[in-house]
Amino acid sequence: MNAHSDLVTSLEWPANLNEIPKAVFDDPDLYKMELEKIFYGPEWQVVAHRGEVPEKGDFKRFYIGEMPVLVIHGEDGQVRVFHNACSHRGALVETKNRGSQLEFECPYHRWLFSSTGEMIGCPNSNQFSPGFKKENFGLREIRTDEYCGLVFATLSDDTPDLKEWMGERMLDPLARILGGDGRLRLLGYQKVNYACNWKAYVDNDGYHAPLLHPAFKLLNWQGGRGSQTPTENGHIVFEADLTMPDRVDLLDDPSLIDFKGTDTSNGSLVISTFPITVLTKHLDMLNVRFAFPRDNDHTEVHYAYFRHEDDDEEMARHRLRQASNLLGPSGMISLEDAAIFTRIHHGNISPGNAIFQKGVSDPRQLNFTPAQNDETGNLPRWEYYRKLMGFRRAQS
Amino acid sequence: MSYESLLEVTDLINEYVACIDDDDLERWPDFFTEQCIYRVIPRENADAGLPVAVMYCDSRGMLQDRIVALRNANIYAPHFYRHLVSNTRIVGESGDEIKAQTNYAVFQTLLDGETKVYNVGKYEDTIVRVDGKLRFKEKLCIFDTYRIQTLMVTPI
Repeated sequence: MNAHSDLVTSLEWPANLNEIPKAVFDDPDLYKMELEKIFYGPEWQVVAHRGEVPEKGDFKRFYIGEMPVLVIHGEDGQVRVFHNACSHRGALVETKNRGSQLEFECPYHRWLFSSTGEMIGCPNSNQFSPGFKKENFGLREIRTDEYCGLVFATLSDDTPDLKEWMGERMLDPLARILGGDGRLRLLGYQKVNYACNWKAYVDNDGYHAPLLHPAFKLLNWQGGRGSQTPTENGHIVFEADLTMPDRVDLLDDPSLIDFKGTDTSNGSLVISTFPITVLTKHLDMLNVRFAFPRDNDHTEVHYAYFRHEDDDEEMARHRLRQASNLLGPSGMISLEDAAIFTRIHHGNISPGNAIFQKGVSDPRQLNFTPAQNDETGNLPRWEYYRKLMGFRRAQS
Repeated sequence: MSYESLLEVTDLINEYVACIDDDDLERWPDFFTEQCIYRVIPRENADAGLPVAVMYCDSRGMLQDRIVALRNANIYAPHFYRHLVSNTRIVGESGDEIKAQTNYAVFQTLLDGETKVYNVGKYEDTIVRVDGKLRFKEKLCIFDTYRIQTLMVTPI
């Protein structure tokens, strides 16, 4: 744990809180530091939802930062997260993305593990080093916690309690994104590799002003009144009323953007948890964007869509139609996001600062109650990032 | 199965991919019947029985909506597609329906002039005759390249 970037000592962060130095997007050494301090540090990382692994023995392969992990629904009903590395010589224990099995075998020397991570057996152990005990060689477990079935993991013992880390403000909207009670079933994935640094992804996914999305206007759909609430530790909660257009002349088949739910009040939700995960409930889509950095210049996002266990067939089909057409890397109303991530990543390889404007009334103060479409909602996260990484802020 | 019907199906698929590659997308919905299904689905989902697609249209109107959005609303890096199709097989014929499968590879070229393998998979088509011409009643594109590079806006 000693990655170092010269940028942290050489760069003086601008005194104005709305100015972000573009150099932080283009430094591989800084990226290694970010992995250690943020992805492997005292933050909770969103790795799975129980709806992806509903039965005992179900598992999912994922990443925390660049570290491979294995999420297993154990035969005792608990969902655990392990390092996906054999406790012997470190080979990947599992290479399938998802599956269901009660035993996990590393093929290299046939070490066998249970769904709760204990070692079951290893051939020829009578020839192993003195004092070798099977019970000391289970899969290495990672600290986890759950909220409404959403599984968080952290590699640090210093990470605060999950609810304290999320903050009171996030609890209710997050529950609503997760179907109210977390009883979700997976509908499937849209996986995408964005050619951008992870900070460019998280800074521009989630919520941004609707100017980017002409489809909203073309669909006669302006969105309802709402608010965004950033927290001091880098999360943002966005809530807006769900308003539906009275008429849609443009679409030949407007049933695609029907809303079949009931909660139009604050019914449009986006939550961005630090460092990298975005979760949304828009129209009838329940969407968790499991994400991880692949390297300094690429970010992989798995858009997972869910239905609620209590949905009737019509509702399930409706959620499926919306999930397969509206959001994500091929979504008719939002695929611009993907185009912007790449443009920002390339544009950031130029000198100077990215300067946030809308809603900035005092560049020397953070604003924790920005208006709905203000850019200032992202700035508390940047300030939190600056402090974590140890960048010095200029005095004037 | 006759050699003639294989030839006719191959011809339909060649015309279909030429329409996309030549950016003649306004004509793209005409390759489908009025009531139709067009799905582009990651192989990973298809193999696991998970229904989420990246494009899912269940009427010709929804196909038209995709093109209207692409032309008028969506913002994306300009690009060309080049489809190579091969191994067309007729896997079933019943009444007036033909079921055919075809491998495809889509190469994408952005305006920097670099061509990349963008999307590789297979078509599973259900084809019927409408006014003497073959049309897709159902077109399922199952793609092996299930991690999309940046975005997908142009149909496969």
